[in-house]
Amino acid sequence: MTLRVSRRNFMAGGATLLSLSALGSNAFAQDTRLRLLWWGSQPRADRTNKVSELYKAKNPGTSITGEFLGWGDYWPRLATQVAGKNAPDVIQMDYRYIVEYAHRGALAPLDSYMPSKLNLGDFDKAQIEGGSVDGHLYGVSLGANSAATMLSKTAFEEAGIDLPTKATTWEEFGKMAAELTKAGKRKGMFGMADGSGGEPLFENYLRQRGKALYTADAKIGFGVEEASEWFDMWNKFRESGACVPPDIQALDKNDIETNTLTLGKSAAGFAHSNQFVAYQQMNKDKLTLANHMRVTKDSKGGHYRKPSMFFSVSAQSKVVDQAVDYVNFFVTNPDAALALGVERGIPESAAMREVVAAKLDAVGKVPLEYVSGLGDLAGKLPPPPPAGAGEGELTLRNISEQVGFGQLTAADGAKQLVDELTRILARG
Amino acid sequence: MNNAMRTMPAEAATVERYRGAVADSRFRRLWNANAPGYLFLLPWLLGFFGLTFGPALMSLYLSFTDFDMLRSPGWVGAANYVRIATADPKFASAMSVTLTYVMLAVPFKLAFALMVALALNRGIKGLPIYRAIFYLPSLLGASVAIAVLWRQLFAGDGLVNAALAQFGIQGPSWISHPNYSIYTLVALSVWQFGSPMIIFLAGLRQIPQDMYEAASLDGASKFRQFYKITLPLLTPVIFFNAVVQTIDAFKAFTPAFIISGGTGGPINSTLFYTLYLYQEAFGNFRMGYASALAWILVIIIAIFTAFSFLSSRYWVHYDD
Repeated sequence: MTLRVSRRNFMAGGATLLSLSALGSNAFAQDTRLRLLWWGSQPRADRTNKVSELYKAKNPGTSITGEFLGWGDYWPRLATQVAGKNAPDVIQMDYRYIVEYAHRGALAPLDSYMPSKLNLGDFDKAQIEGGSVDGHLYGVSLGANSAATMLSKTAFEEAGIDLPTKATTWEEFGKMAAELTKAGKRKGMFGMADGSGGEPLFENYLRQRGKALYTADAKIGFGVEEASEWFDMWNKFRESGACVPPDIQALDKNDIETNTLTLGKSAAGFAHSNQFVAYQQMNKDKLTLANHMRVTKDSKGGHYRKPSMFFSVSAQSKVVDQAVDYVNFFVTNPDAALALGVERGIPESAAMREVVAAKLDAVGKVPLEYVSGLGDLAGKLPPPPPAGAGEGELTLRNISEQVGFGQLTAADGAKQLVDELTRILARG
Repeated sequence: MNNAMRTMPAEAATVERYRGAVADSRFRRLWNANAPGYLFLLPWLLGFFGLTFGPALMSLYLSFTDFDMLRSPGWVGAANYVRIATADPKFASAMSVTLTYVMLAVPFKLAFALMVALALNRGIKGLPIYRAIFYLPSLLGASVAIAVLWRQLFAGDGLVNAALAQFGIQGPSWISHPNYSIYTLVALSVWQFGSPMIIFLAGLRQIPQDMYEAASLDGASKFRQFYKITLPLLTPVIFFNAVVQTIDAFKAFTPAFIISGGTGGPINSTLFYTLYLYQEAFGNFRMGYASALAWILVIIIAIFTAFSFLSSRYWVHYDD
C-alpha cells in the first residue's frame, strides 16, 4: 500500500518533469527517450524496429532503444530490471505474468488515457478484458492467437493419410498417427509429438470436458479423474507408436527450434498459431494448421482466442505519456500494422485486421484463417493464470515425463499432479 | 574509559601518551611499508566489498524475507529455512543430483587429469602444444557452445550413438533419458580436465629426479615408484585440486541449464542445486527463498571444505 502511494508520487513527479520539458526550450525536446523490451526472434525484432523508425519519423526528437531476448532469458532480465528500478518504458507482457506484475505495482494503469490518447475503440472487447487486472487496463493486446496443431502436409501425403478435419477426435487421430509411423516413409519419424506435458494442449482437453486448468479464484480447475484419463490416453499413443518415445520428447525445450516437428521426429506438433510463419520458415515440408482434436464428436469450446502478447507501460517510467503514445501508434497506425503483419498474432483492431489481411501472403493467411475459423471450437477466454502457474507448467511436464518413462502409472501421476498443483497454488 | 582516564595519576597518563606515540609511529611505519601494496590492492578491495561482500550480506538479509524482486522485502524470520528443511521435496532432489555429480565428477576428473599429466611429464616433444590442446576444453569449459555441442553428441541420433551403432548397439537418447542424463554431464566435466592437469604437471616437475634414480637403483618398479614417491609428494597438489574442483562442482550451472533448457529435466534428473535456486529466484519470483537456498549451499560447501582440511593432516605430506 505504501508503495502504491510512493509510486503515484513518483509518477506525478515524472509527469511534472515531462510537462516542464514541454514548456522549456527546444534543448529539452531531444530528451524524450523510450526504452522497449520484448521477447522473440530476429524477424520479430526487424518488424518492431521498423515500427519504431516509423514512429520516430512522425515524432522528431524521440529516440527509441529496443532490446529483445528469448522467452527463457526474458523474464529474469525483466524482473531484475524492475527490481533495480531500471525497467524499460514499454514492456512486452504475457497473459501468464500480467497479474503478478500488475499486483506488484510494476505496471502503470492505462485507463485514464482512453480514449483520447489510447484509442482502442474497435478492439475486441474480450481482448481488452484480457489485459485488465482488478478492473484496470494494464496491457494492450498486440494480437490474438490460439493453441494449434502444426501438421506436416508433406509427411501426411507421403504416407497416404488424410489430414485431420475439424471433426477428428483424439481416438481417430491416434490411429492416423500410428499408421503414419508404421508407414515408415521417413526414418525415425513418428505420427505426432508427445503432448502429454504440454500445458495449452492439456488445458484444451480439460475445457472440452467442461473443466479448467485454474479457476478465477486461483484454485485447481480439474480433478484426478480427468488427469488420469489424459495420461492414460498418451500411454496408449506411446504403446501404439502414434507419438514419439519419451526420450525424444524430452529434447523439446518448448520452443520452435526443438519441437519434434522441426527436428523431423514427428509429422505433427503442438504450438500456437502465431508461430506458424516461423515454423514454416524452419521446415522444408509444407505445413498447415489444425485445431486440437476433439475429445468426443460433440465436444466443443476447448480453444479460445488468447491475447498473445501485451504492451504494458512501466510504472517506473518517467515518460509514461510518450510510452502510451507509442503503444497507441503500434496498434492503431496502418503503416505500423503492415510492418508487423500477423507475427504477434492477429491484430485486435478491426480496422488494422482489414489492412493486414489485404496484404498477407499465403503463409501469413493460414493463421489468420485458422483463428477466425475456429467456430464452435472457440470458447470464452479463461481467467489469467494465478501466481505459481509457471511452476505448475513445469510440474505438469515433470509428471508427464515420469509417466512417459514408466516411473509412475497414469493414475498415480494424476494424483500427484493434483496434489502438487494444490500445494503450489496454496503457496502462491 | 573516560572515568578511568580522569582518575589516572599524571605520571601514568604520561606513560600512556608515550605508548600511544609508539603505537602511532609503529602504525605509521607499517603504513609506509605497506601503503603501495594496499594501493595496488585497492581495485580488488573495492570490487570485493562492493561486488562480493556487500551483495553477500544483502542476500543473507534477504534470506529472512519474502522478497519477490518487485515489492519491498518483508521480514519472515526463519520461514524460508523451515520450508527448505521440512516442506520442499525439490530441494532434496536437487541436492541428491548435485551430490551425485560432485561425487562422480571430481574423482574421475582428478584421476583423468593426473593420468594425462603423468603422460605429458615424460618429456615428449612439443609438450607446450599438447599442454595447450589439452587445456583448451577448460577454456571453452562453461560456455554455452560446448553445452550445445554436448547436446548434439549425446542425442538419440548423435555421434556417440553412431559410434555405438558400429558395434551393433542401439543407444538411447543419453542426454534426454532420466537414467543417463547426469552421466553425460559428468563426462562433460571430466573432459574439462585442463586446469587440474596443468597444476598436476607443475607439481610433478617439483619432485626431485634423484629420488627416482635412487629408487630404480634399489630396484623399485615403475608402479612402486609412482605409489611410494610420486603420489605422496603430490598430495598437497591433489589436496588443492580436490578442494577447488569440489567447490566448482557444487556451483555447476551452465551445462545443466543449457542442456535441459532451464527445466532440470527430464524428471529433475539434471536439476542441479544452482539451477533450482535460479528457477526459484527468477522463474517463481522467490528471491528471498532463493537467497536462503544460496546460504544453505554456502554452509554445505564450507562443511565439505572444512572436512577436507581436517582430514588432510592424515594424508597430505608437506616436505619437512
